[in-house]
Amino acid sequence: MTTIAEATGLSKHFGAVRAVDDVTFALEEDRIHGLLGRNGAGKSTLMQLLTGQEFATSGSVRVFGASPAENASVLRNVCFIKESQRYPDDWKPKHVFRSTPWFFEHWDAEFAEQLIDEFRLPLGRPIKKLSRGQLSSIGVIVGLASRAPLTFFDEPYLGLDAVARQLFYDRLLADYAEHPRTVVLSTHLIDEVSNLLEHVFVIDQGRLLVDSSAEDLRSSATTVVGKANTVDEFVGGREVLHRDALGGLASVTVAGLDDAERRAAAAAGLELAPVSLQQLVVRITGTAQKEFEVSA
Amino acid sequence: MTAIALTQSPTRTPGALQRVVNVVKLHFANPYTVLINPWIILIGIFLVNLAIWAIIMSQVTDPADRADVTEGFSYSGSSLFIFVYMMIVAIQAMNQTFSFALGMSVTRRDYYLGSALTFVLLSAVFAVGMAVLAAIEEATSGWGVGGRMFTSIYFGDGPWFERLAFVFLAMLFFFFVGAVAATVFVRWKALGLTVLLGLLGLITLAFVALVTFTRSWGSVGEWFATTGFLGSALWSLVISAVAGVAGFFILRRATPRG
Repeated sequence: MTTIAEATGLSKHFGAVRAVDDVTFALEEDRIHGLLGRNGAGKSTLMQLLTGQEFATSGSVRVFGASPAENASVLRNVCFIKESQRYPDDWKPKHVFRSTPWFFEHWDAEFAEQLIDEFRLPLGRPIKKLSRGQLSSIGVIVGLASRAPLTFFDEPYLGLDAVARQLFYDRLLADYAEHPRTVVLSTHLIDEVSNLLEHVFVIDQGRLLVDSSAEDLRSSATTVVGKANTVDEFVGGREVLHRDALGGLASVTVAGLDDAERRAAAAAGLELAPVSLQQLVVRITGTAQKEFEVSA
Repeated sequence: MTAIALTQSPTRTPGALQRVVNVVKLHFANPYTVLINPWIILIGIFLVNLAIWAIIMSQVTDPADRADVTEGFSYSGSSLFIFVYMMIVAIQAMNQTFSFALGMSVTRRDYYLGSALTFVLLSAVFAVGMAVLAAIEEATSGWGVGGRMFTSIYFGDGPWFERLAFVFLAMLFFFFVGAVAATVFVRWKALGLTVLLGLLGLITLAFVALVTFTRSWGSVGEWFATTGFLGSALWSLVISAVAGVAGFFILRRATPRG
């Protein structure tokens, strides 16, 4: 395992707002990382710090062994696609694709052309007249065809329809297999991308809550389904993350079970179901929301 | 602790100059706003002027009167707009492309140097273009109707190369004043620009007060008289350079925000 980028005690404060608060983590080479969290959790700011677009309040960022801020030799290997990317008003998409090869040395023009075709992006239409989805597809195409060794996608799908989003996931996975690189994908459509992610970061209110392989995170909880009294007997004093009941049946989500416990559950006639990444993230970051609901 | 990979790409690292040139290319990727539109407007104004000159001259027959009218035409400010327009081009170009360039992993340093080089190139292109038009204006005795736009009195009454130098220096001045205003806007948005304009107003006021209270307007006029037309224009280089350097440091800490 090789570390491509790392943050140590990284913070970014805007006045009293702690957008990123004392975050420490590392990105491993040739892996797809998910950066998950709610709106305003600090995902974008974190990526802006990693790409030198923002300056840290405290702590350090190292990308390819050096600080990314104003560092051309680091940034030439980095591509950052963000939902809010601005393009010059008087441009058309063709101007974007005219200029991208100047900045990304691994740019694959043929691949870009194929993607432009697949996303049905009108090259000659003024940027101002593009739909939200078409604007997003420019970013997606640039991010894929630039083949930067470290690529960030910050919620790149805004306005893209389900077909286009699936196309993005398919192309990302296929191209990643052929040209391995380090990818960070920030999203809140967690279920859609959960099969893509190898490593998961969950950030909430500027703090890093989860830094775990996707597999470990998934197995950190299990849903036990069966007759209500059998389930309750099995669950006993365990911490219950979630509970649903319907008639005499219950479905209870508990923290991860070891092999012996799994066998015991099976012997008791209970079914064990995996918990989706999305359910876990909602569970992990939903506390603030619940408190709000209670007080309201 | 974790090992840091110094993964070196097998491909050639673009040199510092190449990276700056790439930003210049970025500004010209769509040449319409910076190059084509100003010429369209300049030519449009010229054509309207040409029509007006022709109408006026059709009513003046006496050669002495005609010379008088041509003399009057030389006070035309028609081509002065291009300088103010260039200031707006500089502000627009930087405001529009800064976020995009950073999105393309360009450093602020390379972006600013590339933008500055773009502005010097544009100054040269427009200075040469206007010198050519001035030469045609002279050769055709004012486009055949005694009109004067590119040899207007404001560009000096010296030979062509002095006029060329003057237009070039004036272009640089407006481009770099525009550039520094653009960097202030990119970094501190409208509030920054308002504060900047307020400060400039105060400085001008202080200068006027100083000169007035020390009864020095005479010496100010004398300075311009002795420095000469081109000499005064050369002094504008100081302001252009200060603006250029200030813009660099202002942009170095700017962040792209929606």
